Amino acid sequence: MSASLPTARAIEDQLFAALGIVRVVLLLNAVGWNIHRRDNFQHPEAAVACVAVMVLWTFVANVSYGRPRLRTAQLVVVDLALAVVLMLVTPWVKGEGYRATVPGFWVAGALLAAALRFGWRGGFMAGVVLAVADIVPREELRQSDVGNAFLLILAGTIVGYLCASLQTMAAEREAAQREATAAAERARLARAVHDGVLQVLALVQRRGRELGGDLGELGALAGEQEDRLRRLIRAQDSLSVDADTFDLATALTGLEELPGVTVSTPGHPVEMGAATALEVVAAVRACLDNVRLHVGEDAPAWVLLQDRQDRVEVSVRDDGPGIAPGRLEIAAAEGRLGVSGSIRGRIRDLGGTAEVATGTFGTEWRFAVPRERPDTAYGRRHE
Amino acid sequence: MSEIEDPRAIRVMVVDDHPMWRNAVERDLRQAGLTVVGVASTGREALARFPAARPDVLLLDLQIPSPDGIEVTAEVVRQDPSIRILVLSASGESADVLAAVKAGATGYLVKSASREDLLEAVRRVADGIPVFTPGLAGLVLGEFEGPSHGGASAPPEARLTARETEILRMVATGMAYRQIAERLVLSHRTVQNHVQSILGKLRMHNRVELTRYAIERGIGDA
Repeated sequence: MSASLPTARAIEDQLFAALGIVRVVLLLNAVGWNIHRRDNFQHPEAAVACVAVMVLWTFVANVSYGRPRLRTAQLVVVDLALAVVLMLVTPWVKGEGYRATVPGFWVAGALLAAALRFGWRGGFMAGVVLAVADIVPREELRQSDVGNAFLLILAGTIVGYLCASLQTMAAEREAAQREATAAAERARLARAVHDGVLQVLALVQRRGRELGGDLGELGALAGEQEDRLRRLIRAQDSLSVDADTFDLATALTGLEELPGVTVSTPGHPVEMGAATALEVVAAVRACLDNVRLHVGEDAPAWVLLQDRQDRVEVSVRDDGPGIAPGRLEIAAAEGRLGVSGSIRGRIRDLGGTAEVATGTFGTEWRFAVPRERPDTAYGRRHE
Repeated sequence: MSEIEDPRAIRVMVVDDHPMWRNAVERDLRQAGLTVVGVASTGREALARFPAARPDVLLLDLQIPSPDGIEVTAEVVRQDPSIRILVLSASGESADVLAAVKAGATGYLVKSASREDLLEAVRRVADGIPVFTPGLAGLVLGEFEGPSHGGASAPPEARLTARETEILRMVATGMAYRQIAERLVLSHRTVQNHVQSILGKLRMHNRVELTRYAIERGIGDA
């Protein structure tokens, strides 16, 4: 039963509390009508007894339904049975040709209790039982009697359905909240575990380096794993939610896979159109390939991504001897497009600029690429 | 141990919850002639022992039992604005590291840094020279250029000058201060001053952000 969840249980409690008030109102209404029609009774003492039973049962029902433990099928059945009996004795108490039954609308209390407790099925069944009990003893059937019977069944079913869906919704919301809390807690634990692992890997790496030999190798292995784990955590931190755009920061961070490469990013996702972002990454890769070729296989290289809002800037630097003056121009003039072709060409196609600086500090490529984003695009058209 | 403490030696306090790591670092520092004036394994211990230990440099792991490294940084700087804090973190550059630097840390190093790098960093930080990794420099640049800070809305004294941006960019592409000085034809000292100024602005930037936040929420009217 969905009422096993605390929120669903709380909703049921609340609805039964409201029903308690409804029952009292229904009781006052029934007692009032019976007093008003006190001259219609063939057996007035029996009518008094019936009203007494209704007063007593309203009290007992309100106390019992107020306790979740007592809200059993038996209680609902007794509740309904009593309503049915009071309806069935009406011909004897009032004589044939009566219009209203002795309990009148008071039977709605039992109907609603069945609906609240057992959903639309409970409401429907209680409605049918009460409708039959209302119609069967009557000698002649008027249109309004049939209408009332129909309303009983309809009301029981609808209230039951609404109550059940209210509980289901509450249960789903609670489950979702619990899931979110659990996910956050898992992430927190994972972070703590990762951190512990990173600490140990860092320590092994450091001690290994100091001791050298086999342990030095072990240390180097630990260093590699430390690098990978850290990269994984960074990638997870900046997972993009939007499928249409592409986070250039995460894509460039992936280049740290290459030996000697360090990537610095702004610390927030840098969303761009996927095609542009991939071209930028390809241009950076071409720069890094160049470093491998001209400086060395494991030569250190740094990649920096800057988010300048209307454009992104990427710098790629190595610590190599630099490019001899004029070499790029000579290569281009000879038709060897290698560097300038694949790097400058790609960036120019994106509407950006590529500059290269070289000196004792090594070689530095710098790209500026306009950002293809509809909301910021207008400023660029006028440039 | 029969070392004679040099009264001019840098006084360091080491805060880390891993005993093996703490011992290794402590030994390295002592062997290099620095004085370890205290150790702590939790934020609470660190704050309790800090006033009596009176270190020049606090070597602080960010991931320690509560209060964490960022809170410890903020509290220690509040008590003694002249304290130099070198933050160590195993998990690499992240929002945590940036937060610690904004709270008043002078430098940051990955835990896997070599012994020499660590000693060098401690000495620099003791002199008040910021120790940035390229990754942290990238984050700081992002902080000044990022979408939430539209540079123009910050007061001029909290914005980076063109020169400072240039230097920070060079740090973020792995250049040492010496290389930057050479490339920009500046003295080593001038480059260091620029980097110090960047750090100061980062903290002011942080305060400006907080103030703006307070005013937007109507807290700053009083």
